[in-house]
Amino acid sequence: MSHPSSAGGRDASGSARRVAVGVGDLAVVDGDAALTTSGLGSCVAVALVDPTTGARGLLHAMLPSADDSQSSRPSARPAKYVDSGVDALIDELGAAGASPNRLEARLVGGAEMLDLTAAVGPRNVERAERALADAGIPIVARDVGDGVGRTVRYRPNGELAVRAADGFERTL
Amino acid sequence: MRVDVRALGACNRLAERGAERAADALADLTGTDLAVEVTGASVASGEDLAEAFAGRESIGVSVGLDGGLDGEAVLAFDSQQADALLSLLPGGASMGRSAVTEVGNIALGGFLDGWANYLGQAIDMTPPRYFEADGAAVLPDGALAGDGVFLFESRLDATTTDLDFSIYMLPDSGPFRDLVVGKTATAATPGAEGAAEGTGDAGSTVVPYESLSTFASLAKRGSTNAADNIGMMTGLDTTVEVSRLRFVPLADVPAEVGVEPHAGTVFELQGEPSGYLAILFEEESAAAVAASMLPTEPDDPLGDMAENALCELGNVMTSGFIDGWANVLGTSIAHSPPEFVHDIGSATISPIVAELGRRQDYGFVIDAAIQTEGVQAQCDVYALPDERELAAALSRLSET
Repeated sequence: MSHPSSAGGRDASGSARRVAVGVGDLAVVDGDAALTTSGLGSCVAVALVDPTTGARGLLHAMLPSADDSQSSRPSARPAKYVDSGVDALIDELGAAGASPNRLEARLVGGAEMLDLTAAVGPRNVERAERALADAGIPIVARDVGDGVGRTVRYRPNGELAVRAADGFERTL
Repeated sequence: MRVDVRALGACNRLAERGAERAADALADLTGTDLAVEVTGASVASGEDLAEAFAGRESIGVSVGLDGGLDGEAVLAFDSQQADALLSLLPGGASMGRSAVTEVGNIALGGFLDGWANYLGQAIDMTPPRYFEADGAAVLPDGALAGDGVFLFESRLDATTTDLDFSIYMLPDSGPFRDLVVGKTATAATPGAEGAAEGTGDAGSTVVPYESLSTFASLAKRGSTNAADNIGMMTGLDTTVEVSRLRFVPLADVPAEVGVEPHAGTVFELQGEPSGYLAILFEEESAAAVAASMLPTEPDDPLGDMAENALCELGNVMTSGFIDGWANVLGTSIAHSPPEFVHDIGSATISPIVAELGRRQDYGFVIDAAIQTEGVQAQCDVYALPDERELAAALSRLSET
């Protein structure tokens, strides 16, 4: 599931292709395609761009680290975890012509939706910060935490539009 | 005969890929974009299936299977959508039945290619047969017989028109059981994420084949209890109809809930099995069911009063479900107080999926409809048990 899946629809502007990124998934595009991911709760979205080439990538990861997994087998799905997902996203952007030295990051999600579950949202955010710091990638904007679900659209101009469940929208 | 519960996951992944091929084939034929929305594997009894399909009228195309898989596969769509389908096809409505048959042939061919590739063995199809059917007669022959069948269901959605199809495949259970057991015990096809799960500590999720039908009956047993509880609490005549239990990849559960705003309650389960249970309504249904329980119409359809009502409703439904399961399994299961959620549907369920996703890849969805004295409310019950604990309880059950 690490390949982009085209939703086939048109962007709201009527001009661009839209690539939907599912849970535990990532995608890389360049040109005029928009990347979207919906229903971010405790999951975290990491958006990376090389401003020079315009290559953009979006990761929607569910859990902080494969090391935390209680499963006895390695996951065939790196984008399920923040740490392996960030690595995979950087690799795919590199393959698409982006330079790791130029990448900048935007971070969204990691909400605390439920009291019942261990605070996975904040741990996802913390792990993403660490993974990006390790890779030397600056975080230029963020909309994380709180108890609200979010939907994300990564526009071709590098802007990240974040819409919360209550309808509030901001651009990072 | 023992089956790994997670083997169902491998099969689910195959069905999903097969459905993607079917979508591609149909898109080529009709020039319309088609997307695979959901693929689920279910283990259901004939009786449950008959109930779930009651009242539906379908048009379908069926093919018999031989070779890598024995059995039957059916492509079906709602008879009311026949015109929409025909308008997409070259030749249009004048082609009628033969066009539908051709669609079925192409889509099912695509679907089965996915399986044949995985199995490394050709699957022969008999010539396609067109049919019109009421209720569960749309399902492959034999689906209604016996105590438990594997059924794969994929829904394809046309992005530009209102049209969806279902594909049902019923493999003959004897050879298919061998396939599930044999293939998933050893296979690790590159990219076949599900298939690799049969390795490693598979022993802990292995249950007798016969227990799977017991498991399928759990959803139904629970819903009867839930309806009784609601009736007792509200004094309103209540029915909860459950179609069946579906087995879906955890990562697909948020997509299954969708991005529409939902309201409902989430519970943590303690016991055997432990896990989570979420009862989610679309906003309109949530408001309707809450209003039916309140003495006066609330000012805010989903404000504090409605929240209290939905929490109470969640409480009695959940205790109904888990009492039913505990009875069937011979275990004891307790639940936490309700936690009210009201947000983007998929966001509300994401922390549970993350929590369970640390140790398993699949969950169960129960499709339910609640009706209280004329108020019709659809809800979905997401039962996400710890799969190892569930398998252990099912295994013990078969030994006694």
